[in-house]
Amino acid sequence: MKNKKHIEQEVDKTLNSLEGIQKATPGPYMFTRVKARLEKGEKNFWTIAWAFLCRPAVAFTTIIAALFINVAIFFEFRSDSSQTAGEGEQLFANEYNLADNTIYDSTIEPE
Amino acid sequence: MLNTSVLDEQILIEKLKQGDEIAFKQIVETWQSMVYNTAIGILQNAEDAEDVSQEVFVQVYESVQTFKGESKFSTWLYRITVSKALDHLRRKKRKKRFAYVQSLFGADNQTIIERPDFHHPGVTLDNKERTAVLFKAISQLPENQKIAFTLHKLEGLSYQEISDVMKTSVSSVESLMHRAKNNLKKWLIVHYQNND
Repeated sequence: MKNKKHIEQEVDKTLNSLEGIQKATPGPYMFTRVKARLEKGEKNFWTIAWAFLCRPAVAFTTIIAALFINVAIFFEFRSDSSQTAGEGEQLFANEYNLADNTIYDSTIEPE
Repeated sequence: MLNTSVLDEQILIEKLKQGDEIAFKQIVETWQSMVYNTAIGILQNAEDAEDVSQEVFVQVYESVQTFKGESKFSTWLYRITVSKALDHLRRKKRKKRFAYVQSLFGADNQTIIERPDFHHPGVTLDNKERTAVLFKAISQLPENQKIAFTLHKLEGLSYQEISDVMKTSVSSVESLMHRAKNNLKKWLIVHYQNND
């Protein structure tokens, strides 16, 4: 019981330990360091390129263009495949005389 | 009667929008302590706070055109600081997780060093150990609770001001503070039970 009360007191003291805390201050010459960072950032091509790409209009246009290209390729591939499949089937059928329905349709000439 | 400091601030911001370096320098000098104190409270590391503070002012310079004056400049500054600090914390967590996974695969034998207790520079000597324990507990809080608690206790912001920074309601801030205190109490009870 005494222990529990003691712990509660400690907890309360700790929770209130920030009362009267002074504000932390940064090191000197913050502006100089900020300025150096800005100048370093400006000279970096990738930073400029990334900043350009991150613009909403540019990012949106890029995504739409990528989607459009994907869809176009997909439909192009589908139409090519169906044509190719048809031709392939025909070749296979001709090779094994499968196109012939009866013996009379056979290309082998009777003697 | 016009508030001259608000007017001065508006003039400074207008000059900054025009790229005036002197105006920018004045803004940095006026607000650096606020930004740094907020950052160090969230990050609990002086070097990281220094880094993030610089990032904040770089962001201010680069995006001041987007500041329309709908909120106070200080509110805008707090938002950027909180956002940058949280980004920094998340990056650190990701690196730590990646290093841990690497160690599981034997890729890197470096031991993951637990950071030492944080001693806030603004704390009196007799309170140092106690506040170190509290800061450790604060670091365990969920992000929103951590932000609300830090802004209130370290920056002295009112619940209304915190709600402006966090873009939420005053009642949400009250709820966050209530939950933060409960979570801190739970953590501290366990801590003192284990260290008794």
